[in-house]
Amino acid sequence: MNSLDFSIVFQSWPYLWSGLLFSLALTAAASVIGMILGTCFALTQHFEVPVIGRIVRAYIALIRSIPLILVLFWFFFLVPIVLGHLSGNGRPIPIGATWTAFITFGLFEAAYYSEIIRVGLRAVNRGQFEACQALALSTFDTYRCVILPQVLRVASPIILSQTIILFQDTSLVYVLSLTDLLGAASKLAQLNSRLVEMYLVVALVYLAISSAASQCVASLRKRYAIAGSRR
Amino acid sequence: MLQDNTARGANLPSAIVAVEHVVKRFGHFTALSDINLSVTAGEKIVLCGPSGSGKSTLIRCINHIEKHDGGRIVVAGVDLTDRVTDINSVRREVGMVFQSFNLFPHLSIVENCMLAPMKVRGLSSEEARERAMGVLRQVRIHDQASKYPGQLSGGQQQRVAIARALCMQPKIMLFDEPTSALDPEMVKEVLDTIIGLARDGMTMICVTHEMGFAREVADRVVFMDRGTIVEEADPETFFRAPRTERAKGFLQQIIH
Ligand SMILES: Nc1ncnc2c1ncn2[C@@H]1O[C@H](COP(=O)(O)OP(=O)(O)OP(=O)(O)O)[C@@H](O)[C@H]1O
Ligand SMILES: [Mg+2]
Repeated sequence: MNSLDFSIVFQSWPYLWSGLLFSLALTAAASVIGMILGTCFALTQHFEVPVIGRIVRAYIALIRSIPLILVLFWFFFLVPIVLGHLSGNGRPIPIGATWTAFITFGLFEAAYYSEIIRVGLRAVNRGQFEACQALALSTFDTYRCVILPQVLRVASPIILSQTIILFQDTSLVYVLSLTDLLGAASKLAQLNSRLVEMYLVVALVYLAISSAASQCVASLRKRYAIAGSRR
Repeated sequence: MLQDNTARGANLPSAIVAVEHVVKRFGHFTALSDINLSVTAGEKIVLCGPSGSGKSTLIRCINHIEKHDGGRIVVAGVDLTDRVTDINSVRREVGMVFQSFNLFPHLSIVENCMLAPMKVRGLSSEEARERAMGVLRQVRIHDQASKYPGQLSGGQQQRVAIARALCMQPKIMLFDEPTSALDPEMVKEVLDTIIGLARDGMTMICVTHEMGFAREVADRVVFMDRGTIVEEADPETFFRAPRTERAKGFLQQIIH
């Protein structure tokens, strides 16, 4: 007990690996859903779409002011009840823990990405819009080919930072009895009484992935800083 | 007498741009009041006047980037005054070059020139590239085609901006102080490009204070002050013997 024994980590690697894959899959899915929805949300704000724009703004304000874990509870316990009522027979319709996790994380991220993109849209020079108008580009092409690509480039470091936070937050799925990397490690740790080894290794894995992503952020920052200064 | 000419010009089929009694307000501020201007196909107009006189506002009304509040604007046969159903049918025919270039920084030079022809004119990517390279050669910048705007000098960027507009094969070109954001040594290359266009017969309206350029290409100099057209004349007459005090004062300022 006194000496560290890492053999348990190697023996149980497949289980840890599956936990890690779940964390990564959840991060990837949530960031894709978040990007698509977040961009749409940001555009409703940018165009000041009547009614919908206000609803979206309220939604974003709400999501950003409550902890993710609460959102998870809501979706897991409340949405089935709401669905049950909507379907008419009143009995809750369970949507399953995995679906809950993917949808909740996606919707949660959308609120954060949306704010990043909204700010990015405001930062685009008015001249870019005017050049598109002068070239007779449609509004759709203006945003798809000119405005959004620039916003996403400029915002990509912040978006990636947000995604790193998301990756760490995936450990919250333990409240839904789902097993992510941290969940797998803590189950194994308790099973084998090897808490120190397990938590050390898991910390290293988080560190490795987050710092690789941070490197990515840094290099993106540098690249766009140069492009910006030359402009 | 000038008013007569303008009014008659507006009714001729050769008037490619007709601006009649146009008013433009920003809130309570009147930026343009009762502007009349008629441009025939192939004509080159130089617009000048003190800062804030409404030059930019006027040319931006011509491609409907600004919407006028009163009067009538007809461009290439389309009346911009009625509820404009298809502004873009006018904008397709009107190229515009801005003081600050406004190139798309995330696209390469050739892609900057290909985008609108593909999206608006429906060219294939090969056709658009071929056309873009042809026009870039015309403005003598084809060797930079794969670079990005941020890698080019101001003068080169402005020539790309001209090429980008030309790739739409417009009937009219609008220039809003195309050289005033440039270092002095780059002004000439851009002006030479515009002069080349003028020689090819392009109809153009150019806001500029470059007198040498105006003398060389302009058929008419239009002098604006405080939202009105104060004086119109051929460049020789205008620069040598301006009729109004305001034009005299203005010319003295830009010479010194
Ligand atoms: N979007 C706007 N909102 C409010 N006022 C405006 C707007 N655009 C222009 N103006 C005002 O209208 C007047 C004419 O502006 P405009 O840009 O047409 O002048 P200009 O002759 O092009 O001047 P410059 O030589 O400085 O470019 C100015 O007083 C300006 O402040
Ligand atoms: Mg101006």
